[in-house]
Formats: sequence, structure tokens, C-alpha cells
Amino acid sequence: MTAVPLVGADNAPSRITLRGTFKRFVTPRAWVDALGPLDLEVAAGEFVVLVGPSGCGKTTLLNLVAGFEAPSGGSVEVDGETVTGPGPDRAMIFQEPALFPWLDVEDNVAFGLRQHGQLSASDRRAVAAEYLRLVHLEGFARAFVHELSGGMKQRAALARALAPRPRVLLCDEPFGSLDALTRERLYAELQELHAATRRTTLFVTHNTREAACLADRVVVLSPRPARIATVRRVELPRPRDFYDPRVSELAGAILADLRGAPAATGATRLA
Amino acid sequence: MLAFLAGLLLLWQIVSSLALLPSYSLPSPSQTALRLVELARDGSLLPSVEASVVRMLLGFVLSAAIGLSVGVAMGVSETVNSGLRSLFLGVQTLPSAAWVPIALLLFGLGDAAIYFVIVMSSMAAMAIAAADGIANIPPHYLRAARSLGTSGLALSTRVALPAALPSVVTGIKLGWTLGWHGVVSAELIKSSIGLGFLLSAGRELNDAAQVVGIMLVIVLIGLLLDRLLFSFIERRIRVRWGLATDTSGR
Repeated sequence: MTAVPLVGADNAPSRITLRGTFKRFVTPRAWVDALGPLDLEVAAGEFVVLVGPSGCGKTTLLNLVAGFEAPSGGSVEVDGETVTGPGPDRAMIFQEPALFPWLDVEDNVAFGLRQHGQLSASDRRAVAAEYLRLVHLEGFARAFVHELSGGMKQRAALARALAPRPRVLLCDEPFGSLDALTRERLYAELQELHAATRRTTLFVTHNTREAACLADRVVVLSPRPARIATVRRVELPRPRDFYDPRVSELAGAILADLRGAPAATGATRLA
Repeated sequence: MLAFLAGLLLLWQIVSSLALLPSYSLPSPSQTALRLVELARDGSLLPSVEASVVRMLLGFVLSAAIGLSVGVAMGVSETVNSGLRSLFLGVQTLPSAAWVPIALLLFGLGDAAIYFVIVMSSMAAMAIAAADGIANIPPHYLRAARSLGTSGLALSTRVALPAALPSVVTGIKLGWTLGWHGVVSAELIKSSIGLGFLLSAGRELNDAAQVVGIMLVIVLIGLLLDRLLFSFIERRIRVRWGLATDTSGR
């Protein structure tokens, strides 16, 4: 893909395994079961989209894999090792781009590379420049964060997450607050990026068309506490166009899954 | 702005020339300026300016070190925060002059009493600003940093501190002003040199021109540092952080 010495270029994508995973939030006066128990296996390099009604516990599932929260029961494993906390092998992007305003765009993208002690400052810059090119921001290395548009910020956040070559990429509704046009461009770019980097990706959304457009496999979750309602393997060729009728059809089927009515094949063509 | 100040000066000149009050209680601008020149000539102004500014700088550095450290502890620990916050908010209602009597009782007539007044006047404001800055760091900054492999000390120095910086700088600016109040208050009551001393000497000599002149010098020095240094830094940071739009170009 590139002549730049990529950090951890030998990092193979990881396999994620959830077994009997369960999360209960306990407050002094009440408790809420947010998730599971559920089983889920994500293959190395796979792009899995989690779809569910809002508040169903999708984000909780991501937080468990990221290590921001610990499961109340069951296990969360990455490559067979139990997750004990956040780590650079599992990068996460959020609905807010969460770029650091005290750094320019390039320093943001290079931020995670500092943890790799073997990389010199000029190597870090070269890697950052390479990822900026991948997300079409090559002219904005020295820009302040607030000078970027919403879509550019999210691209920069994606570059920052991918630059240290994490084994897993976790996406928590990253395009949720963008306008439709920007979002559609980013679907195409994210597919390109995934094809180029093959990071194991867990992507959370409530947009069924987004799910159909991006996923190797769509996992539909039930209302809280989230359990797996249906799983759909998506065999459509890539790159997929957001307005491909087959994407629309699949989106309709996922919507039917979400509403709890199993869709009869071909019965949910959207006009 | 300059025209407004000139108008104000003119108004002052007119009012004082009406001689409603004797010139030893209401001096004219020209008398005031003349007196300042005299003070500068006879060598009593500059050493006092220097004494006050040096005291301020030392006391301020001490106060910022204490205030910011305590503030960081408050920002990090809810226990420390709930304990100290109401105390600090209470302390802030005390005018800086109110610290002078206890400072004299505790430290006697040395400069230590002045430093004590500076610290007590300005420390709480800086601590609260730092605590708020740290407590209000957007949680997704910290999450993003942790998922990029940042932890421990690096999380504080590379993420938490820069994220809290706008609030910290605002606190430092406020602390500077409060500390400057503290210096003058302390010198007013106890000192044989300094701008506060020249103020009280002027009152004892019924020399209103000296009193008003020194007041102007105090305002000028306070403004100079506030405008030239702190406001400049604060503005730079706010622009950079995207909190304000840049109107000056960069």
C-alpha cells in the first residue's frame, strides 16, 4: 500500500469473542441490565455492523470491547486474551470526532504513534502524512481542528485511529451527526480504507441503510438488554453504492428485523 | 476610546478648576502629572514600582504554584473538591485588605506578611478555575487518548492539562488581578517602600496629587500586564481551541 514504514505493519487483525457477555449498571438506587447475556464472534478482518433500537446497549458492547467498561458476567476476548482495559490494539472513533484542539491535524493523526517508542519524529510525520493522504486531507496537515468541516474532522479522527495500525477498529455512530452528502462520501471512503487496511471492525449504528452499505455481517440487537435478534451475512459486491437497490432492499429487511417482524424474502422492497 | 479618555481628562480639569474642593483634596490632572514627575525625579517612584512589581511576581508565582496544584487535586478527586470548594468560595468573599491584620499577627513586619496576603487573595480563584477546567474536560478526549494507548502520567501531561488550559489561563489572569490588589493592600498598611506605601504617605501629607498619581500608576501597571501578557495568551489559546474566532489574523 505504501513505502512508508507503517507502525506495527505486522499487526494482524484480531478475532473478537464475546461469550455469555452481560452488563448490568448498578446505581445506589437502581440497576439496569444493559446488555446480554450474548455470544458474538467477529472474525479477523471482518466488518460487523451492530444495529439496534436506540438505548439498546450497542455502545455498551463497544465499550466492553474497548475496555472502557468491564462485563458484569461472561467474557470479552480479543485473540483469546481477556480484555482488561483500553489499549492501542483497539482504536475507537466516536460520534464526536474528539480531535485535540491544542494540536494541529497532523499532530492529532500522529498522536497514537508516540506510544511506539521506536519511531523517530520524522517517521511519525511520514506515517501521519500517509494516513492524511488516505483520508484525502493531505493539504490540511497544519490546519487547526476548528478550521475543518464536520466530515473532515471525522476523516482526521479515522486517520488518527488507524495510523498506529490497531488490530481492531471500533466505531460508535461516527457519521451520526454529519449531513447526508458528507456521510455518503464517507461510506465510500470507509469501504476503501477497510479494503486497504483490513482492520477487524465493529461499527455501531441505528441507520439500516448504512449497515447494509458497509457490513460483511449485520447483527441486529433486541431492545435493552441487548441480545442478538438476527444475523445477516451480506454478500453484495464492494464497493457498494449507498443507492444500490440491493442495498435498499437489504436495509428494508434489516428494518423489518428491527421491528421484530421477520421479513419474508423479497417482501420488503423499498419504493 | 482615546477620545473618550481625553474627554474624561478634560472634564477632570474643568471640575478641579471650579475649585469646589481645595486642591489638596481634589488635584487637577496637571498637578497630578507634575507630582508624578517630581516623584520620579527625587528617586522615590521607581524603587517603589520595582518593589511592588517584584513582590507581586514572587508572590504570584508562589500563589499560582499552590493554587494550580490544589486545583488539579480538586479536579481529579471529588473528595478533595467537595471539601475545599465551599471553603475557597467563602475565602474569595474576603477583600484582600481583610487579610492584612492576620498577616501582620502571623508574620510580623517582614515581607512574608505581604506574600501571605498575595497568596490568600489570589490562590483560591486559580484553584477553582483549574479544578473546573479539569472537571469539565470532555470525556471523549480522555477516551480517545486511552484508546490510542495513552495512560498514567502521559494522560495528564499530554491530554488533561492542555484540555484544561483555557480555563486555567482565565484563572491565572484573574489571580494576577487579585494578587495585585493584595500587594497594594498589604503595602498600604505595612511597608516603607512600594506603591501602597506611597499612597498612604500621600494621604498623611495631605498630598492628593500624589495619591491620585500613584493610583494611576497602579492601574497602569495592572492593565499593562493584563492586556499585554495575559489577555494576549488567553486570546491565542481561545482562538486555537476554536472557542473564539480569530479577528487579528495569525
